[in-house]
Amino acid sequence: MSEVIGFLLLGIGSGALISGVGMGVVLSYRGAGVINLAVGAFAMLSGYFFWAIRSGEFASIGTVPAVVLTLLFSALLGVAFELLVVRPQRSATPLAKLIAALGVLLALQAAVILAFGQSAQPQPTILPAGNVIIAGVPVAWYNFIIAGILLVIAVVFMALYRWTRFGLGTRAAAENQAHAMFMGLSPNRLSLANTVLMTVMMGIVGLLSASITEVDSQTLPLLIVPGLAAAMFGRFTSFSVTFVAGVLMGMAESLLLYFSTESWFPTNQGGPIPGYDELLIFIVLVVAMFLRAGKIPARGDVLERRLPAAPVPRAPVRSALIYGAIAAAALYFLPGGFRGALITSLISAILLLSLVITTGFLGQVSVVQLALGGVAGFAVSHFATNFGIGFPWAPIMGVLLAAVFGLLCGIPALRVRGVSLAVVTLAAAVAIENFGFGNTTWGGGVTGSYVPPPSLFGFNFGPNASLHGLDGIEPSPLFGWFVLIVLVLLGLFVCNLRRSGLGQDMLAVRANERAAAAAGINVQYTKLLGFTLSAAVAGVGGALLAYNYGSITADSYDTITALALIAFAYISGITTVPGAIWGGLIFIGSITAYALQDWFGIQGEWFTLIGGLLLILTLVQRPEGVATAMFYGPRPSLRALRLTRRGGGPPGGSQIADRVGEAKVAS
Amino acid sequence: MTALLQASGITVSFGSVQALAGVDLDVRAGQLVGLIGPNGAGKTTFIDAITGFVPARGRVMFDGRDISAAPPHVRSRLGLARTWQTIELFDDLTVHENLAVAATRPTVGSSLGELVLGRRQRAEQHADDAVALLELAEFAGRMPSELPQGKRKLVGVARALAGRSKLILLDEPASGLNTAESLDLGQRLRRVADEGVAMLLVDHDMGLVLNICDEVYVIDFGHLLAHGPPGDVRRNPAVLAAYLGGPADAAQQLDGETAASSAERAGEAQ
Repeated sequence: MSEVIGFLLLGIGSGALISGVGMGVVLSYRGAGVINLAVGAFAMLSGYFFWAIRSGEFASIGTVPAVVLTLLFSALLGVAFELLVVRPQRSATPLAKLIAALGVLLALQAAVILAFGQSAQPQPTILPAGNVIIAGVPVAWYNFIIAGILLVIAVVFMALYRWTRFGLGTRAAAENQAHAMFMGLSPNRLSLANTVLMTVMMGIVGLLSASITEVDSQTLPLLIVPGLAAAMFGRFTSFSVTFVAGVLMGMAESLLLYFSTESWFPTNQGGPIPGYDELLIFIVLVVAMFLRAGKIPARGDVLERRLPAAPVPRAPVRSALIYGAIAAAALYFLPGGFRGALITSLISAILLLSLVITTGFLGQVSVVQLALGGVAGFAVSHFATNFGIGFPWAPIMGVLLAAVFGLLCGIPALRVRGVSLAVVTLAAAVAIENFGFGNTTWGGGVTGSYVPPPSLFGFNFGPNASLHGLDGIEPSPLFGWFVLIVLVLLGLFVCNLRRSGLGQDMLAVRANERAAAAAGINVQYTKLLGFTLSAAVAGVGGALLAYNYGSITADSYDTITALALIAFAYISGITTVPGAIWGGLIFIGSITAYALQDWFGIQGEWFTLIGGLLLILTLVQRPEGVATAMFYGPRPSLRALRLTRRGGGPPGGSQIADRVGEAKVAS
Repeated sequence: MTALLQASGITVSFGSVQALAGVDLDVRAGQLVGLIGPNGAGKTTFIDAITGFVPARGRVMFDGRDISAAPPHVRSRLGLARTWQTIELFDDLTVHENLAVAATRPTVGSSLGELVLGRRQRAEQHADDAVALLELAEFAGRMPSELPQGKRKLVGVARALAGRSKLILLDEPASGLNTAESLDLGQRLRRVADEGVAMLLVDHDMGLVLNICDEVYVIDFGHLLAHGPPGDVRRNPAVLAAYLGGPADAAQQLDGETAASSAERAGEAQ
């Protein structure tokens, strides 16, 4: 029993870091209305900066000046973030803001990997070492110091928001920006101050984290998931509740770590089951959502931009035949590396099609789609290796299983929508990846799970099939053609969906749930059906990905890739089928990425970096996405381009949205 | 003949505020019934309560069925449609699609046909009729946001008509319209009612309501003040008191409201 108390105390330090990230989320939401997924990434960047100027990478200076410099750097980071991302996005929907923050997260992560490599760096600690023995367990002093510092920060923020003119102004601006402006408050300056406060605090979190973890590109950025859970308990507004929730989560994780050494704890391959703490965070988040999400205050912005338009497809069959024929020829004639990358592109396009349904048609952002694909992928693998079930029954059952999971993931969407749903599905994706796929029994663990090539009546048409391309190298164009046929069919399916009564119902729900119900649409049924269809499409993509890899691990369907998928979907156009296909052609591992690497030696990480930056730019300049604008929008005239450059107004379809916004302000 | 809509004892409370206190209202098939009252009287709340958008006590009988507990989409499918003061069109769909959504209910069979074979479900005759009746044909392919306010209002009405509705609850369809448009709308509504679709018309435009309705209900502070044919209501002392504070010159003013209030409202909407 006494050990339990000791382990609870051991969790205080890491819990306080969760609190720190959670409070960063709260600051971002109160200051700018952003559910800021990049909060943890700011802490990571500051941690790297400190390491670089201490360790000799850039310089090796003393602790105190290095701390001061790091905090200065954090403040500058805040200014840059405010000017480049937050301010241009001020009038965007909460969802667009969240996606922009996602772009920042991806870009920062990729930048850090490019600059310092994948491996973790031993960041020098700034806190004194030493332990205190409590209840027989040595507990490091730093746990209490970290918690103390963040407690002080929480109290300061509470006081700042409750009693100062700055805090009052921020609250007024959050309620109604127009009124705040009439009161003589500058929303710009208030937002800037809040953002800088946030990045400086994340700088402190980055510095303090050195005692607990080395600095790397994953740990701190992904602390956003428990941080979001803590912030959700605080309804994205309360610093005190967020702080307490974060610390308690840290303590619970530590306790689980203690229990995991006990004999009764469930095991996998001799060790405790993997991913139990991610599962815990997910459960906590779901509980927080059901208890608190309905009460998250909405912000009153001056005008609101909507999701990009979803135009009716023009002549889809003709396009499918033309582009399909070109792709089929390319699959045979291209050299091996390019052929493989093209196949990956086609599979990515299928995964992006599932996002067209959830986000483009239903208007809900779901991060869990790639993980649902993984469910089908692992099902294909395990049906084959454990039960000897192969093509086509294994993928069919895998897709059905993914659809069932999708249906389950759709249930939260009945209660929450928009940003809250994105947050819950993010936690679900992390939990499925670590708890589900990390487990060797039903996932792949780190070693991987074998996927036999697809064959029908003894005829193998997997990547290693006997028919080779023109250059005689694997992967086989047969597999590529198979993927292509599936993509064409699913693409036409999604085109039909847009034109069908069901698709119109979905867009009606996306536009206006109240009016949809008044027009006789069962909103909940439509949402669940949409999520299930989308999950099935993702399942097909995931199963094909499994066949493509031949062996899959938990990393094959990881959350960062899932986030990048959403980013690229937005860049190319998340509301249309051409958008999904072009998105596939420029995604990570795509034929474009391969060409850039092959011809110019540009690494994959550059691609994520550019993708992240491009996403932010897209959201500001072409919210409907590049490919959608190209295929459906009015041809960009020189005049429109010039207007855009001068910042005179967004071009194309978004003008309509602006007019809607103006009408709303006027009424 | 029993009424198509029988609302009895409709009571809605928001916290400690009682927005509606036991309102009874009947609408018969093909009847055009007006519901008027000063600002904040509870007119929109009444529509919300009947269509299921606010929790309400009391009983709603529609077409011989008790729908008091039914969710909004079920009431809509039974033939109870509504429009909104704030129009609330589907901004992501064209005008034609807006009507098609209301006119067609995809079934499992029709969806399969559409999704797999790409067969287009024919938009119902009702949608075309609504378009013809309200003369919206030239706007069918446009997005709602491209239309002027008055036309958007008409699309809202057309969408309610398209759903094979037996009764349409219209929430201030004439606000934002100029006098000519308002008169025009009145005639069109009268024609729809004559074809057998019942309507409950909530509007500030006293002239419109008193001129075209068969029967008028007046509510104030959530209570039913009066009901009867427009001629009686026009001269009811309680109504005059609620509207203008005094009976003497009020009757004249009510008569003269048509032009003045419509013009005023057209000005407000700018």
